[in-house]
Amino acid sequence: FLPPGVRHLAICLLSSREHLYRCLDSQPYTLEGTLLLFPLYHRCTAQLWQDSLKMKLQLNFMVCRKENFRFKGCTILVLQIALLLIPSEDVDHNDIIMEVTAGVGGQEAMLFTEEMFDMYQQYAAYKNWRFDVLEYAPCDIGGLRHASAVVVGLKAYRHMKFEGGVHRVQRVPKTEKQGRIHTSTMTVAILPQPTEINLKINPKDLWIETKRASGAGGQHVNKTESAVRIVHIPTGVVSECQQDRSQIRNRATAMQVLRAKLYSIMLEEETSKRCIARKVQIGTKGRSEKIRTYNFPQNRVTDHRISRSVHHIERFLLGEELLDEMIQSLKEYADYESLMEIISENDQPNVT
Amino acid sequence: MRVLASPLCRVLLRLLPHCGPVGVSPAKGSILKPCKQMLRQNFSDKAEQVTTTELVSYWRDVFEANGIPEAQESSEYIVSHVLGAKTFQTLKPSSLFTPLTKEQQQQIQQLCAKRLQRMPVQYVLGEWDFQDLTLKMKPPVFIPRPETEFLLLPWVSEQRDQRLRDASLYPVILEVGCGSGAVALSLLSKLPHSQVIALDKAEAAVNLTRENAESVHPEMNQEFGGSWEQLVPWGPVDIIISNPPYVFHEDMTHLEAEILRYEDLDALDGGDDGMRVIKEILMLASYLLKDEGSVFLEVDPRHPEMVKNWLQSHPDLLLSFSATHKDFCAWGAVYPHHTGPPDPPSASGVPDVFLIDSAAYVVSLTEPPAHPARA
Repeated sequence: FLPPGVRHLAICLLSSREHLYRCLDSQPYTLEGTLLLFPLYHRCTAQLWQDSLKMKLQLNFMVCRKENFRFKGCTILVLQIALLLIPSEDVDHNDIIMEVTAGVGGQEAMLFTEEMFDMYQQYAAYKNWRFDVLEYAPCDIGGLRHASAVVVGLKAYRHMKFEGGVHRVQRVPKTEKQGRIHTSTMTVAILPQPTEINLKINPKDLWIETKRASGAGGQHVNKTESAVRIVHIPTGVVSECQQDRSQIRNRATAMQVLRAKLYSIMLEEETSKRCIARKVQIGTKGRSEKIRTYNFPQNRVTDHRISRSVHHIERFLLGEELLDEMIQSLKEYADYESLMEIISENDQPNVT
Repeated sequence: MRVLASPLCRVLLRLLPHCGPVGVSPAKGSILKPCKQMLRQNFSDKAEQVTTTELVSYWRDVFEANGIPEAQESSEYIVSHVLGAKTFQTLKPSSLFTPLTKEQQQQIQQLCAKRLQRMPVQYVLGEWDFQDLTLKMKPPVFIPRPETEFLLLPWVSEQRDQRLRDASLYPVILEVGCGSGAVALSLLSKLPHSQVIALDKAEAAVNLTRENAESVHPEMNQEFGGSWEQLVPWGPVDIIISNPPYVFHEDMTHLEAEILRYEDLDALDGGDDGMRVIKEILMLASYLLKDEGSVFLEVDPRHPEMVKNWLQSHPDLLLSFSATHKDFCAWGAVYPHHTGPPDPPSASGVPDVFLIDSAAYVVSLTEPPAHPARA
């Protein structure tokens, strides 16, 4: 997609100063070259706190500053060019299965889980995605123990993948009499749904349980219990479903969830092979990390991976623009990290 | 729709639900009484707020106290149904803790009273799901079992096989013993180009199939006929499919009250060896089935061997036993070490001429030929 010359230039811009000069010397000071320089600088300094890089870019910026170019209109174009450098995961276009689970904090954690599930349901509506609840396990006294849903829509995974991890809430619970602030947690897991080609399961590896499994069945009994439970024997991964009155449909849903779980484990193994540690982790490594804190007394939501805070916590929980912006920021940061990976791969001593 | 009426047909209508269970022992009656008192008490005292979850627990306890099997499930299905959901799990989270109206509570009470009489949940609700369809259920028409949902699978996936596709673009399928029409209508949904002939001995079954056909496929052509001879113009069929009565006669008395009191026992009793109707179907197949045609039967786990032997001793039928499936790999799953149940269907095929001699009602359901293909 990017013509090789421009691509090279783009990479150089984020590389060392030597490379930049070399590029600028070899290529006449073209409009494209300059266009690429400034917006990227703006973008990077606005989002990144790596001092060494910042300094590199500042030096580069000073070189061109005297020319007094104005690049506001070109920012978008340039950003798109830069983004073209970034590989997108094949799986970005897939649908997902989202699971929420209450963590530490008793009932307060469960109430928070319920609010988060609602928030994501609203977000799906905001993005025009389909949100089908697969499982919903509320607590008798209020709140949600765990729940899961299938989210179907354009680039669902691409947006939602950053939500996986531990979300932490700090507030005075409704049940608290003395006005003390409590900290509770809940976990979100985002599992992309694999296609037939992505994942093949050997039928012999599965153990399927239905309530009718014991004793004679068929015409002899009339049981209405249609719950299905599937165990993948080699990995021990379990999937259950009792959403439907039709057993065959429950079985299909349970298989769908099982496939998503197995696929996410498979992807896990692949991403963990990458040596470079990322801040914006996706996957189970991120599952145990606290990615975001929702602080009610200070009316602030902070994402720890990019150190970004958003105010108006109630508006955030509506699952509309504020959440979308946060996800956008995360996406940009992740893109930046991808770019940096590419650059460091290119950063060879004998580049000519 | 073609309905064949014949003086020889035996229509069997057992217990009508409002008549109450036949042969109920006095002991059962007395168990019901304290329950009724419990009900009256509770509902007069608690005129106010009852939430969904509280009501489900309450009725579960009532069912358990009266020895009703699947107390939890029955309670959940009934309450969910009144609230407009199919299962408890699909109830909107908000409705779980909101109080129910008086009308809703009364509706639930009426339905639960039927369940207390051991009426199967499917009859209590008047409907049940089979694969992707929701069908009406009325006693005594046989309630489709979950295992039967898998009966269609191997053949439907076979339809994608070259062999069958070449053989017949518009497969003609005969279902023997259609009951509520579950299998026939499911097939029609999955294979819109097929022609399905649904057959049942019981008028009630035929009527119910027609009703379900009208609500599931209202645009469909349905013809009525009066006799077996009217099967002739359909010609030999590609597939005979059936969930015939296959319970061994000696096992009939061990069946639970839900079945014995409310379902048509003729839909279950397969004679001494459970093979009576199976044999009839296989004999029918020798007349009715095309070359390369197949028979799919749901049978008791003991039957495949018996069927194999019987076919070997009746070579004149020109049918051969082809396979037993314990489960269907269409879902990519098998039950390892499964001692439990049911339903290995066997498939065989051959055919010849056709001739009919026993009486039946026949309902035939076809797609109008001009209809475009449906996925």
